[in-house]
Amino acid sequence: MESATLTEEWKRVLWKSQPYPDNYVPPEVFLASLQRNAHFRPYTYWPLVFLACTITQHVSVILVFLGTFVRLNEHLLDPRTLIWACIASFLVCYAMWILLDRGKRHPNVQKSGDSNSKNHLKTLKSSIMVFLTLVSLSPVLRTLTAATSSDSIWALSAVLFLLNTLLADYTATNNAQHGEIHSRLTSVLSMNAAISASVVLASRLSTDISVFALILFAVLSFVLYPIMKPRLQGLSTGLWLFITAALCGFAVYLLAPLSTTVTAICAVVLFSITFVAPMLLVWAQKYKNNIRGPWDVAVPKVR
Amino acid sequence: MERLNIAMVSDFFHPAVGGVENHIYSLSANLIKRGHKVIVITHSHPKGRAGIRWLLPSLKVYYIPFVPIASSATLPNFLTSLPYLRTILLREHIHIVHAHASLSSIGHEAVMHSHLMGVRSVFTDHSLFGFDDAASILTNKLQVGNLRNVDAVICVSHTGRENTVLRGQMFDPDPDDPTKLKMRNNVYVIPNSLVADRFKPSSPPPSEILTIVVISRLAYRKGIDLLVATAPRICARFPNVNFVVGGDGPKLIDLLQMREKHRLQDRIELLGAVKPNDVCSVLSRGSIFMNTSLTESFGIAMLEAACAGLYVVSTRVGGVPEILPPDMISFAEPDEDDVLRAISEAVELVSAGKHDPFVAHERVRTFYHWDHVAQRTEKVYEAVMKSPQMDLVERMRRTMGLGRFAGPIWTIILVVECIFFLFLEWWIPRDDLDYVQCDTWDDARFREIAKDAERTCYKSVRDPQGQGEERGSSVSL
Repeated sequence: MESATLTEEWKRVLWKSQPYPDNYVPPEVFLASLQRNAHFRPYTYWPLVFLACTITQHVSVILVFLGTFVRLNEHLLDPRTLIWACIASFLVCYAMWILLDRGKRHPNVQKSGDSNSKNHLKTLKSSIMVFLTLVSLSPVLRTLTAATSSDSIWALSAVLFLLNTLLADYTATNNAQHGEIHSRLTSVLSMNAAISASVVLASRLSTDISVFALILFAVLSFVLYPIMKPRLQGLSTGLWLFITAALCGFAVYLLAPLSTTVTAICAVVLFSITFVAPMLLVWAQKYKNNIRGPWDVAVPKVR
Repeated sequence: MERLNIAMVSDFFHPAVGGVENHIYSLSANLIKRGHKVIVITHSHPKGRAGIRWLLPSLKVYYIPFVPIASSATLPNFLTSLPYLRTILLREHIHIVHAHASLSSIGHEAVMHSHLMGVRSVFTDHSLFGFDDAASILTNKLQVGNLRNVDAVICVSHTGRENTVLRGQMFDPDPDDPTKLKMRNNVYVIPNSLVADRFKPSSPPPSEILTIVVISRLAYRKGIDLLVATAPRICARFPNVNFVVGGDGPKLIDLLQMREKHRLQDRIELLGAVKPNDVCSVLSRGSIFMNTSLTESFGIAMLEAACAGLYVVSTRVGGVPEILPPDMISFAEPDEDDVLRAISEAVELVSAGKHDPFVAHERVRTFYHWDHVAQRTEKVYEAVMKSPQMDLVERMRRTMGLGRFAGPIWTIILVVECIFFLFLEWWIPRDDLDYVQCDTWDDARFREIAKDAERTCYKSVRDPQGQGEERGSSVSL
């Protein structure tokens, strides 16, 4: 059947019997609603670098932690210094948190300072509780894996830290600006992996106090810092870049005396995460081919 | 046209219930009515449904002993079904294998193997798939390889065809201009259909109450979230509107919670799973049918509702806009407010008496008929039988064209399949096969025997002494 001889226009309906064969392909209408790369915004390099800083920071925090552990293990660092440093940084961060909170809450809610101070008291109480629990647990943790060989511990902690890096929540959400933190399952898993890794590492240390110092440091860097991070990111670009650079520098500084090879590898890793990986992503975009059409599962809009 | 022997192959068939199952059965029954011989090949079901069974209009069903892994689909393994398929296709003298549904691995295997026995292949795709999730990507890759050498593809809607063409990459280089791609001309659109007599409207008792019917699997893909969000708002806006919801699924909990929270127990009735036979009686309780699917290839439920005289409100997704003329259905975007608007308009339209169920029924009756579907499918078979069969070299050349990695893999599968087939030819020679001798179904003879059997049954109930003898005679039937 020739379409030129047909007078009736082809319609995209099934209920009407049309004088066209069933395998007729309407030239204009066919696949007219196909969208390629709809709503596609190409990435640009520098914003990506800025976003990649989150990952760089995360990796540097792990490296700083490992550097600290090695120092503690080889008695190059006094655990008391570490404990004091932890307490000091906790207080500084807490003060910052309150300041940020107050700055945000000021315009809309005029809540009484009463509940605020109650909150502080609560925080203080629970932090002392955590502190004491860790103190009392540290002898147990020190001998926890005494029967396990060190090689297994290194492997285990490496796997756990890898898991932590893979599952961590790197999104710079605006949710955190509203004061509530939506932690997803993966970020909880990631935190647990990091804490488990620190516990197995801590069990290699020789004294109770160094175990305690390391676990305290782990709690600060793997539990409290990730909560703080999105806030800092939202605060100012300059500060964020400065923190990233400082953490990277500190990680390299801690590792440098221990081993040149490791330092070099870590420096390369940090550099490539920050600068090379975004470049790869920008380059790979030209292969993007996203097809959308009426067959896609619609997203229901429900209030 | 001449009489054809057709084998429908799919994982989805009676005793399982669903759209594809119903489609295969109805199409087969109507092809038989048109004088063809049709058999169905599917996997076995628990409680001993394996082997050969007959369904009513002389439809022979082969239940091959494969165990389904999930949702009635068998494990895709390319080769294990070949011994069964070879024997069945040869002994039944099959000309055309017609596979159904893209998630049915037996169907795909039949399409793959059919050329070995010199049998032609047709594939019907019933569903829509996206392109961006892992499951879709995997099935699409399988589909590209399997449909590379199929003789014809049938889709149930125009949207479905666009989707299938993209998923199966059914385009070849244009012979005039090799840089361009041209769609294959063996992709057809033949809609689903329904038996209009089973969905007759009933005149509702005169009452102020207007009932909205929802019959759907209660799953995310069916947009139950939209129903949960809009139902309380509709109930609040129209005090004379009630809901009847039929179906079961993971989202039932959400519906129950919504009903509890808004205290709508007397306004929203939840029926649970509805048997296919009861669908019409549920539909006849209402005057508006609401469908909130997020994706739908054809939407047979809406057609059934329209046929039963209900006014249909649906989300504008997939192939739904194609199935009914605009004055029998109204559309909403998948958005809570827009669904509310569409339902409100429908309620006003129906309350004003502007929708006549009997006129709607008569119109749907003229739109869809299984006989038309069978005729159109017959035309596809005819075109396939006329087209030249590809030889093995051509097949391998086309398979290699699948891609740098996929091409060699699929070619290896093709070669292994051929070797396996040669082994089977040696192991179970064709001369040893038990060929079906009598291909014609004598309807008069069947009726005679059926009547006879009925009489003996009746007698055996009346006369318990003669039971043993009667049982013997009924077995010999």
